[in-house]
Amino acid sequence: SPTGDSWGIFTFLCAALCNLPALPALNCSEELGAGQSIQQTYDLTRYLEHQLRTLAGTYLNYLGPPFNEPDFNPPRLARAERVPSATVDLDLWRGLTDNARLAANYRAYSRLLCYLRVLDRQVGTAELRHRLAHFCASLQGLVLSIGGVMSSLGYPLPAGPAAPPVPPGAPTAPNDFLKKMDDFWLLKELQTWLWRSAKDFNRLKKKVPPAVVTLRLEARGF
Amino acid sequence: MANPVPSACCVVLAAVVMVYAQRQSQQDSPVQYERVGADVTMKCGSMDWDAAVTWTANGTDIDESHLNGSYLILKNVDLSQSGQYACYEGSSWHLKYQTSLRVGTPPKEPVLMCRSNNYPKGFYCSWHLPTPTYIPNTFNISVIHGTKDMVCEKDAIPKNRCHIRYLQLFSTVKYKVTLTVTNALGKNFTTLTFDEFAIVKPDPPESVVAKPVPNNPRRLEVSWQNPSSWPDPDSFPLKFFLRYRPLILDQWQHVELSDGTSHTITDAYAGKEYIIQVAAKDNDIGTWSDWSVAVHATPWTEEPKHLTTEAQITETTSASTSSFMAPPTTKICDKGAVVGSGAVAVCWTAGLVVAAYSVLFI
Repeated sequence: SPTGDSWGIFTFLCAALCNLPALPALNCSEELGAGQSIQQTYDLTRYLEHQLRTLAGTYLNYLGPPFNEPDFNPPRLARAERVPSATVDLDLWRGLTDNARLAANYRAYSRLLCYLRVLDRQVGTAELRHRLAHFCASLQGLVLSIGGVMSSLGYPLPAGPAAPPVPPGAPTAPNDFLKKMDDFWLLKELQTWLWRSAKDFNRLKKKVPPAVVTLRLEARGF
Repeated sequence: MANPVPSACCVVLAAVVMVYAQRQSQQDSPVQYERVGADVTMKCGSMDWDAAVTWTANGTDIDESHLNGSYLILKNVDLSQSGQYACYEGSSWHLKYQTSLRVGTPPKEPVLMCRSNNYPKGFYCSWHLPTPTYIPNTFNISVIHGTKDMVCEKDAIPKNRCHIRYLQLFSTVKYKVTLTVTNALGKNFTTLTFDEFAIVKPDPPESVVAKPVPNNPRRLEVSWQNPSSWPDPDSFPLKFFLRYRPLILDQWQHVELSDGTSHTITDAYAGKEYIIQVAAKDNDIGTWSDWSVAVHATPWTEEPKHLTTEAQITETTSASTSSFMAPPTTKICDKGAVVGSGAVAVCWTAGLVVAAYSVLFI
């Protein structure tokens, strides 16, 4: 009967409209997904930054003065350069390709995570260990999230760190004070990376979704 | 025959030369700076203590009670005693010594402020003295970033301000700014140490406009623009804070907006004039800007009905409105008298829906 046909057409149209993003090519939803996961990664960096504030406060108090003083502004020692720095020349940062931008973030957080895990093994109080463990888990999530964005955009993941930064059990610094300085700089670099990432992902948010859709369609000869 | 013009010229010329000579000698005389409340002793050049001299202050003779021999003694000097002091030999009235006395204070700790309203381009620092010194001061500013000395370029206007460009972004090392103020009576300084992201504070949003929304008595449409000093809103987006209240109330209502440069207020009190302001902040770092210039707006109100009745009487041609508006004298509350174009439209749409259904199901 005509009624059945009309309803059938109507149902089909509804279904088509609701699932349109998935129709043209399976990869289309991936690209739109990339836009969404950039947003999620951005949100994660903000969440981690917030978490770090509490963690750093507790940890610096554990280290004791002068590390927990707000005006503490020590010179950068050569040994601290092992921790990846977020500092970058302004024009260079602006000119980074999406791949380079994402890779820099991925590499930095992978290494920072390693260092934090080493810290976790050595730390004294149970409360601190608990906080650190929680933070490491969230940071791991961030690394995976960045990796996910890179994969969905077709970029290769950067190779992991060549060797673990510190063999477990070996002394990390000649004395206690220098060890504490290392910890101080690690937290500082982590904080700086988190607010740099917010800006990195802002830039990516604006640039990625439309450009990528066009590229992918071209590749498939559409 | 005496010609008055040349002699008048001579007099004027002589006067000019005299004034010039006086001024020159004043400029050549040394400036002496003294603190407020100090005791000042002035010697009459190389004259002996027991020589007969006359001191003047700004041309006026000074009473002998202030003299100790040929020395001038000023006790507990105050600001009003600044001026030109000169000493003349008693009888010959030869000028033996003169000085310009400036009474002032050594500088108190200066007030220094640094801010980045154009992130990520750089930042500026501005300063002032909390109390005046009444004598000339020089300001010297130094900026240290880690081990590097940076140059803070002084602005022409305003004078007590300098700006610096960031060479690197996302720095872990703090900036240390030291301002030193020096004058003839002393010096003082102050230091500021801060992280790059801590001093970010945009200028307030610009071109704030608030407009009523036609046919919506509780709405106001507000729009604004990013501050023009913010160089890169795409990579460094701003978020906004809007506050509004009717003029008659003191309590503000607040809305935080994470993107977009417009907002529609939907809970305005009908007919009341509103005051509206907007502030901006970098999405992730720094502090809120100052509030923007306040704008005033009143929501749209319907024209009162009794005015249209009067218009009906005076109108010669009947406009379409008169056929829809019920004059107050007729039975508005009559169940049957549903007035207005709205009711007519309802009937028509109902008819269309029924027709559509019938087509589908028959």
